Amino acid sequence: MLKSVGLLTTALVALPLASGMAQERLPITNATCDELAARYEKLPFTDILPLDAGPVAIDGEEKPLTIGFSQTGFNHPWRVSMLESLQAEACRHPNVELVVLDGNVDVAKQNNDVRDLIARGVDAVIMSPVESAALVPAARAVMNEGLPLVVLDRDVPTDKTLFIGQSNVTMAEGVAQKMADDLGGKGKIVVITGLQGSSPAVDRNKGMENVLEGHPDIEVLVTGDGQWIREPAVKLMEDWLTAYPEIDAVFSHAEESSWGAQLAIARANRCGDGIRHYTFDGSNAGFKSVKAGTFGADGNYTPFIGDIGLRAVLYTLTGKEIPDAQDYAEPGKTLVLPDSPVVTAANADEWIGRGWGDFEPTPDPCR
Amino acid sequence: MPHEATHPGYGAMLRRIGAGRLGGLIALVVLIVIASLLSDRFLTVPNLLNVLRQIAIVGILAMGMTFVILTAGIDLSIGSILGLSVVLYAGLLESWGLPVAITLGMLAGAGAGLVNGIGVAYAGIPAFIMTLGMLSFARGLAFIYTGGTPIPILDETFYNFGNGYFLGIPIPALVLIATLLASAFVLGMTPFGRSVYGIGSNEEAARMSGVPVRLYKTVVYVISGGLAALAGVVYSSQLGIGTPIAGQGYELDAIAAVVVGGTSLFGGKGSVWGTFIGTLIIGVLANTLNLNGVDPFVQQLVKGALIVVAVFGMSRANRT
Repeated sequence: MLKSVGLLTTALVALPLASGMAQERLPITNATCDELAARYEKLPFTDILPLDAGPVAIDGEEKPLTIGFSQTGFNHPWRVSMLESLQAEACRHPNVELVVLDGNVDVAKQNNDVRDLIARGVDAVIMSPVESAALVPAARAVMNEGLPLVVLDRDVPTDKTLFIGQSNVTMAEGVAQKMADDLGGKGKIVVITGLQGSSPAVDRNKGMENVLEGHPDIEVLVTGDGQWIREPAVKLMEDWLTAYPEIDAVFSHAEESSWGAQLAIARANRCGDGIRHYTFDGSNAGFKSVKAGTFGADGNYTPFIGDIGLRAVLYTLTGKEIPDAQDYAEPGKTLVLPDSPVVTAANADEWIGRGWGDFEPTPDPCR
Repeated sequence: MPHEATHPGYGAMLRRIGAGRLGGLIALVVLIVIASLLSDRFLTVPNLLNVLRQIAIVGILAMGMTFVILTAGIDLSIGSILGLSVVLYAGLLESWGLPVAITLGMLAGAGAGLVNGIGVAYAGIPAFIMTLGMLSFARGLAFIYTGGTPIPILDETFYNFGNGYFLGIPIPALVLIATLLASAFVLGMTPFGRSVYGIGSNEEAARMSGVPVRLYKTVVYVISGGLAALAGVVYSSQLGIGTPIAGQGYELDAIAAVVVGGTSLFGGKGSVWGTFIGTLIIGVLANTLNLNGVDPFVQQLVKGALIVVAVFGMSRANRT
């Protein structure tokens, strides 16, 4: 109850996308369909489940379609960017309308949201769960109504039409491998995790541990909770710099925490130590920090999968087969996305502009 | 002393202000001794300066919270007000310059506090409810203003304010100390300050003796909101970013600092000195746990236990 409840005023927002209103600013992203059309060209996965622009016909009939989207919350730009890719796809189909609900990072609220969507009579539900297991009741409710259910980013261990996500484990392995290579297989590192107990933080830690098993000379000095953000990371790093005279690298689960750690390094006059940063998130700002040499690697965990989710829904509603959907360990089907390459100095130029967010990185205080 | 209990004079008041402070000081000293035994790096000047800087944000928030709690109120909205002020500083800085950005951000903080105060004092809405509403409302404004995306701050002067030193002391720590001294002066030396205690002890009696209770209650929420915006200056200038999620949950850290510092949640008893000690206790504890590489799960547990034990210990000390 006491945590942020975020976008109070946009708790329930319908997006009328009739052609005459195309220039209207869409909620939350505050973008127009024209602006989103330009960004659509840069989305990484438009070739997966390709779909032509234009009205979507079911049995030859172009009736209005309402698709519900239940998002974890819009308290992080990554989540807003996911919506942006979803809106960009919706803009291409004049008879498709989105209903977007903000889960406020609260499993109970999101469960209710999904039921509200069903009550509103949506034609399908797209959901990106706050937490895997806790959204099972909501997922069952959708499937019991016989509606298509596409789950994005975090899976639910129950039946669904399709799960679309990337693996934080293999991505973290990529980032950790780059770190191990840069360190020559030997060194002392500190770890700043994402919010402890959240599934991406657990998975990113697991990926790192998988790689470090093969590198016994890399020692993890200490682990702390950076909560995905900057402020706690500054304090952690400040205290660790006091406690440990020698630190070779910071393995952080979030770019924000890495920038915070770098700030602490500068303030402690330890820029000369050459402490390297390995991080995640895949924002344009992060890629720029890679290019500038502040970050050694940035795990490219793209939020731009909302468009695939909507196309999967439209494929299902129009009775089209989803070509690469496969069975997997959980009930339902999954669509495995190709791993985006870890962004390093070698490919940063190629990726700047294709990440999320259009803000600049904090200038490196060590430079 | 039944006589003094019914007619609280200066002696009783001084004792009341001092109550719990000695216990808090002892707890702080014990903690510092333990901390220096556990890590030889604890009692070094750079580390102690780090601690002072680390506690600045929550410390400033806790000063404002002390005013509110002394009137037997509560302000749950300060974390969100900090978040709102932070995005305003970041967003307005580029086009309007530093002085205007700071002024408008501080006004927004004080304004949110004014709305809280009017709601509590004049409309009679319970403080818990009124400020819970503001917690959500101010956070919503911050999200709408930014579209959910953090705004970077590239201003050198502002950055140097948050990360610089004056006379060898981190500027955020000086802001905290200035806030402490100003708050102590207002609470201890002005009729308004004495009335704050009076309202918290017995609102009806304060009203009867001519204290403008509603006005003063409004003012404490304005102070709390304004100090939240001041903490926002420290936050954004240190971190170089205006993010709409800034300060989430800080209201609870501030409340913890206030109660560990010996201020009663029922109002009328306590002081900003106690709050300062409470902030230090929590800050030193966090620093020590980090210096010794304690697992983050265990850290939460230790912090929780400390709050309860400290408050229990002080309530015992006050009884004897």
